Amino acid sequence: MRDEAIVELLGVWKIYHMGRRGRITVEALRGVDLAVRRGEFLAVMGPSGSGKSTLLHLMGCLDRPTEGKVLFEGTDVSTMRSAALARIRNRRVGFVFQSFNLSPNLTALGNVELPMVFAGVPRRERLARARELLSRVGLRERERHLPAELSGGEQQRVAIARALANFPDLLLADEPTGNLDSETGHGVLSLLSETNVEGVTVVVVTHDPEVATAAKRRLRIRDGHIVEASDA
Amino acid sequence: MLDLMGIAVRGLLHRKKRSWLTITGILIGITAVVALVSLGESMQLAVRRSFEELGYDVVMILPGELGGGFGGPSSFSTSFELDTESLTEVEGVEEIGLLNFQSVYVKADGNEGFLDALGVSENIFSFFKVEIVAGRGFSPDERGVVILGREVARELDLRAGSTLQIEDHPFKVVGIYSADSRLDEDAIILPLADLQELLGEEGVTMALVRVAPGDDVGQTAKRIENFLYRSRGRRDLSVQTMEEVHEVVQRALGILGAFLGGIAGIALLVGGIGVMNTMYTAVLERTREIGVMKAVGARNSQIALIFLMESGLMGLVGGALGTGIGSFLNFAAVTAAKRALGTRVLEYGISWWLVLGALGFSFLVGAIAGLLPARAAAKLDPVEALRYE
Ligand SMILES: Nc1ncnc2c1ncn2[C@@H]1O[C@H](COP(=O)(O)OP(=O)(O)O)[C@@H](O)[C@H]1O
Ligand SMILES: [Mg+2]
Repeated sequence: MRDEAIVELLGVWKIYHMGRRGRITVEALRGVDLAVRRGEFLAVMGPSGSGKSTLLHLMGCLDRPTEGKVLFEGTDVSTMRSAALARIRNRRVGFVFQSFNLSPNLTALGNVELPMVFAGVPRRERLARARELLSRVGLRERERHLPAELSGGEQQRVAIARALANFPDLLLADEPTGNLDSETGHGVLSLLSETNVEGVTVVVVTHDPEVATAAKRRLRIRDGHIVEASDA
Repeated sequence: MLDLMGIAVRGLLHRKKRSWLTITGILIGITAVVALVSLGESMQLAVRRSFEELGYDVVMILPGELGGGFGGPSSFSTSFELDTESLTEVEGVEEIGLLNFQSVYVKADGNEGFLDALGVSENIFSFFKVEIVAGRGFSPDERGVVILGREVARELDLRAGSTLQIEDHPFKVVGIYSADSRLDEDAIILPLADLQELLGEEGVTMALVRVAPGDDVGQTAKRIENFLYRSRGRRDLSVQTMEEVHEVVQRALGILGAFLGGIAGIALLVGGIGVMNTMYTAVLERTREIGVMKAVGARNSQIALIFLMESGLMGLVGGALGTGIGSFLNFAAVTAAKRALGTRVLEYGISWWLVLGALGFSFLVGAIAGLLPARAAAKLDPVEALRYE
């Protein structure tokens, strides 16, 4: 079972410290056990503030747990240096956010190139790959446009292209359709499904029933606990 | 590396107006540095040339201490008498030239007034050249003759062959000379014996001693000093080698340069603080973007590098423009000075090391100013940064 998991959480707690001298604490996750299997399409649902984004950040090695273990392909994330985590985020993981989070001063093409720049991919190869990805999300003609010149749906598609730039094994999407109307959201969802069909493990945080239905497995989280898990 | 540079350039272009304003600070500092340093270089070069013309094998004998009475023909020092015959006996002394700077009353064709006069021993032109542009120079033992600086000749409308009255004695103009600086052409040169006779005194205001080839200039100067003390019984004359005089002048220029450089340095410091301020603002503004870059796999060092390149580039652009403007200012100043003084020794020039140094230094100022902001950017927690509104 274990080598089948791409990322595994074992008794994970995440506690944030806030306020003066960090005296206010927020327990965002309270003992989560979860294994994400290679190739699966998992939807995470739950009310706002329940810890969904925190869960995703931990899976994507953007953060370390306060307690418990996060194993990325069997390796304990807590023991890794920040450069090693950056490398995992760069090569193995793709992030898609609710608010797109494109760099405002880079063109669509530049945004898709960004993860490859950090990976040190040569310019030629980078451009070819970025253009290929933009074609795939239907935005090849808009490569010179800045994010501000694109609609929300288009921006999110650029963001998906960016997430796929370095051939990740794991795509993490945090409410990717949350800021889109249902029709545009539909397009984004198809892209995620296609990606999954091509073999990329997809974890998507969502309130959108359509997205949840498309996933092969769903889990519900409340107050930092997994309260319900169901296979489709 | 180059691609991170691309991101840095985009970052700068995205806030063009602010970038330019920030760059202005560095620009002013580097302009000042380049203008002042290159002007200093031009001046030092001019000084060196003047001294080279006279030659470093020459020792000057002046009344009093160096610094007091040193100057050109327009400084009127107290005169002194010198036993040249015995001085020639001192080891290493090859030749002695004598000069007397005085102000004399001149009448010519209804014009009259005071002029700077230089009385010279007949061998003086082996120490420094004057260029005769009309007529001739005077020959040994010739008396009652004078050569005029070009300015004097122009002002008094005299030419070779004219006569004029110096202190009510008739003198024949045998030639017109030109000099490196128009200031030096505003004088007349006559035989020392004539000038001494006119003024009724035996003294000179300066003696130049040529040291024999193969003899050490410094040691010969010491021997002359000892000889003078022994024969005169007091130290009323100072003996200076050209090297010493040159050093004094260089040191004065150096102090001036350091002072001006200090002012320029303050301008640069202020420019650097401007860059730092802009970069802190940029880091704050782009917190979320930094979070995203980290999420897509930027290492902390790459984030730091992007911001360092941004600030370094601002420095470099300011430096490049400042170097251009500064060298233009130097060019303008030298051109103006040449026109005003008519001098040929002062020349415009900017050394490649100054250009490279200014560019490197401005990049460094920018990069150093960006160091702390870049570190702040690199150390941002990605999750916090992504939550930043
Ligand atoms: N960086 C942080 N600092 C402090 N509190 C945080 C931080 N991130 C999340 N939280 C808190 O942790 C809880 C879970 O947040 P989050 O994982 O974003 O929930 P969700 O994505 O389900 O809305 C919330 O109460 C939130 O305010
Ligand atoms: Mg969330």
